[in-house]
Amino acid sequence: MTMNRLIDPARIFRLRGARLGCVLIACGIVLAPGPAVAAEVRVGFTQDALTLDPANHRKRETETIIRNLYDGIMTQTSKSEVVPELAESVRQIDSLTYEAKLRKGVKFHSGDEMTAEDVKFTFDRLTRQKAMGGQTSPRQGLLGPLASTEVVDTYTVRFKLKEPWPVFPRMLPVQEIVSKKFVEKVGSDALATQANGTGPFKLVEWRRGDSIIMERFADYYGGAPAIPPAGAARVDRVIFKIIPENASRMAALMAGEVDIVNEVPVFAINTIERSGKAKVVKANGTRTFFIALNVTRPPFSDVRVRQAANHAVDKKLLIDRLLGNTATPVAGVLSPESFGSKPGLKVYAYDPNRAKKLLAEAGYAKGIDVTLDVEGAFKDQAEAIASMLTKVGIRTKVQVWEGAVLTPIWRAAKKERDMYMNSWGSGALDPTGIFVPTLKTKDRGNTSGYSNPQVDRLLDAADTEIDRTKRADLYHQAEKIVAAEAPWIFLWVPQDIYAVSKRLRGWEPGSDSRINLHRAYLAN
Amino acid sequence: MRLGFIVERLLQLIPVLIGISLVVFLMMALTPGDPVEIMLGDQLATAEQKESLRRDMGLDLPVAERFARFVKNALGGDFGRSFFHRRPVAEVIAERLPATIELTIVAMLIALAVAIPLGVLAAVRRGSLIDKAATVISLVGVSMPGFWLGIMLILLFAVHLGWMPVSGRIDYAFEVPRITGMILFDSLVQGRYAAFLNALHHILMPAVTLGLAMAALLMRVTRTSMIEVLQQDYIVFAEAKGLSRARVLVRHALKNALIPTVTVAALETGYLLGGNTIVEMVFGWPGLARVIVEGIYSRDYPLVQAGVLVIAVIYVTVNFAADVLYTLLNPRVKL
Repeated sequence: MTMNRLIDPARIFRLRGARLGCVLIACGIVLAPGPAVAAEVRVGFTQDALTLDPANHRKRETETIIRNLYDGIMTQTSKSEVVPELAESVRQIDSLTYEAKLRKGVKFHSGDEMTAEDVKFTFDRLTRQKAMGGQTSPRQGLLGPLASTEVVDTYTVRFKLKEPWPVFPRMLPVQEIVSKKFVEKVGSDALATQANGTGPFKLVEWRRGDSIIMERFADYYGGAPAIPPAGAARVDRVIFKIIPENASRMAALMAGEVDIVNEVPVFAINTIERSGKAKVVKANGTRTFFIALNVTRPPFSDVRVRQAANHAVDKKLLIDRLLGNTATPVAGVLSPESFGSKPGLKVYAYDPNRAKKLLAEAGYAKGIDVTLDVEGAFKDQAEAIASMLTKVGIRTKVQVWEGAVLTPIWRAAKKERDMYMNSWGSGALDPTGIFVPTLKTKDRGNTSGYSNPQVDRLLDAADTEIDRTKRADLYHQAEKIVAAEAPWIFLWVPQDIYAVSKRLRGWEPGSDSRINLHRAYLAN
Repeated sequence: MRLGFIVERLLQLIPVLIGISLVVFLMMALTPGDPVEIMLGDQLATAEQKESLRRDMGLDLPVAERFARFVKNALGGDFGRSFFHRRPVAEVIAERLPATIELTIVAMLIALAVAIPLGVLAAVRRGSLIDKAATVISLVGVSMPGFWLGIMLILLFAVHLGWMPVSGRIDYAFEVPRITGMILFDSLVQGRYAAFLNALHHILMPAVTLGLAMAALLMRVTRTSMIEVLQQDYIVFAEAKGLSRARVLVRHALKNALIPTVTVAALETGYLLGGNTIVEMVFGWPGLARVIVEGIYSRDYPLVQAGVLVIAVIYVTVNFAADVLYTLLNPRVKL
């Protein structure tokens, strides 16, 4: 019998003695947190889903939640390999065509079988203008030059591209398949709050801003064979509890209220490890941090000043002291785990004397005065870097901004400021997602204003090169040029830090920031 | 109370709401930051796709036209679609508002329950140890930052003692069919007492965090006003008539002394409705303030405009209710 039943609240309200009633209510609310529960895993998560419609958002956190309800044609392992999920295979027919053979007998939560028609419907909805009840999917850009999706037979679809785009298979894990019949029945808008996927869990209730409750889908086909064990989910229920505040999220883990928390702050790592109740787990992230140097005007128009800035920063010390050894230093643009990343780039060793010498060679023997722009969250790191730069004569003042204000200033065509500490992520770990936007001439995230026609040519060639080895070489050549010309102070790729209950089994973090709970359970 | 007064107050609402709409609209429109760039972040998108999104959001139109459309649609009850939630703003607000109102009401009840007895006691025993202790406590209460108190309560009662939940409104196992969206009220009127207790269990720490700072302020106001009233002739007269001390204090003194308390409580209620973001963040409370702040950071113009408008309406309404309450507390107040 639960404590709720022991203390019958109805009886309490019948009691005439108000004081006694108050005391009992107080006892009841303190001692009666709720009935006993079946096997479940709870996640303390930073942000609520914006929508449950897989085609109507651009948010990683939303994707993390949705991915437990919906599966994709392909998925990604914790080692960032792309493997078939709803597809048995995906193969390239020619430079413009990919063919996916679908599994047979995969059920949506409604009980309907998933077929090629559903896949075509999903991709048309993602790529066609105003295909979602008058709205165009904000995820359209994630499918690059996809021109059409064709049904070959009940279990085969073909994707036709307008131009070669080798990264296409890597973008498939971030598109989830919806049921054509269901969407046509409930209407496109209803998908914002209702879910009918093929994923391991069914939606029970979405308490907006508070929690998302899911239960095991008994008819689940089993998931990607490359990520064993296959089969239905191991717990009856999973709950994403939304706890935005870091300290509260960590407290919820310590109190046993949740079993996994994301975005663990560096300062909390030791406390969690010492608690004996939980442990910290990490995955290499996909986001490169750097300081963009405005190459369009002095002093950073001189490559020697840019190289001096790179020599002035002791990355090892910063990673050790400020990041708790949870980041990997980079010599260039790409994460060491990214496609196309190879050793052999020019490495700027920490060498203040060399930095001073380069600065003097550039005509700035007396030093220079510059400003480093940064968002509030990275103020500490920027100030530490500024003090290192100042020591060699690059006297740096840190200016803190709100991100939404700062980004347009630095993405504008005309660059009017000196330095900008920012970052760029590529969930697919492919240079297309990071190298092209940040360093190709006038591209969207080219904050330093860098322009090198040779780099542009190499990036263009790599973007459509089908041969993987040649493609990797093209990116490497481009990265070698960029490393030598140093439009950035190359910093690091931080790890994604999670903490989990010591009882948790069957889940490990991956570089895609997902928390797929299909195989997760709690040991007794 | 005159009907004319009510009509007059309602008419006053019109310029207030138009003014607020204009100010919020212009502030959002003139603040640097592009919702499309924020939404796309560092993900793949071509220039055409950016333009398509901009058109979807209506940002391709001039500011004046956007405002005219906003006012026209708002008059018809349509506040537009949230840029990021991709749903009608009215839906997003309707989901979140009850949680904020519920938290505010419970916090206010806690504040009043603490402040009025303590304020009266401090006034009656003026200069005593109780009065001095109450002054110190109220000073601490006013000075203590809400987020700090909240985290301390979590560490003590949730982590160390394990008595209270860290976050949320109610355990998943309880389902309370929605009537108002305020779980305490809905569960009580439907006779779901276990759910009511569980919801009370969840709301206690956030409400205490919010309520204590307010209690400190209200206690000071009650004390000051009570001291003033206790020096009035009619109190001396009531005591001379031989009325009991308790009756004099409650029926004669407190009733009149409460008018400033009601005023401050009404103002504070308005403040709480729009300003309890930090407590909503710390306790993962799914309220309106949190969603508006998230909207400000992501430049979700329709959501912020409508959210602020709703808070403004509630603020004005609560103050109107306070005016009405004056007439009940003191019949000499004519409206």
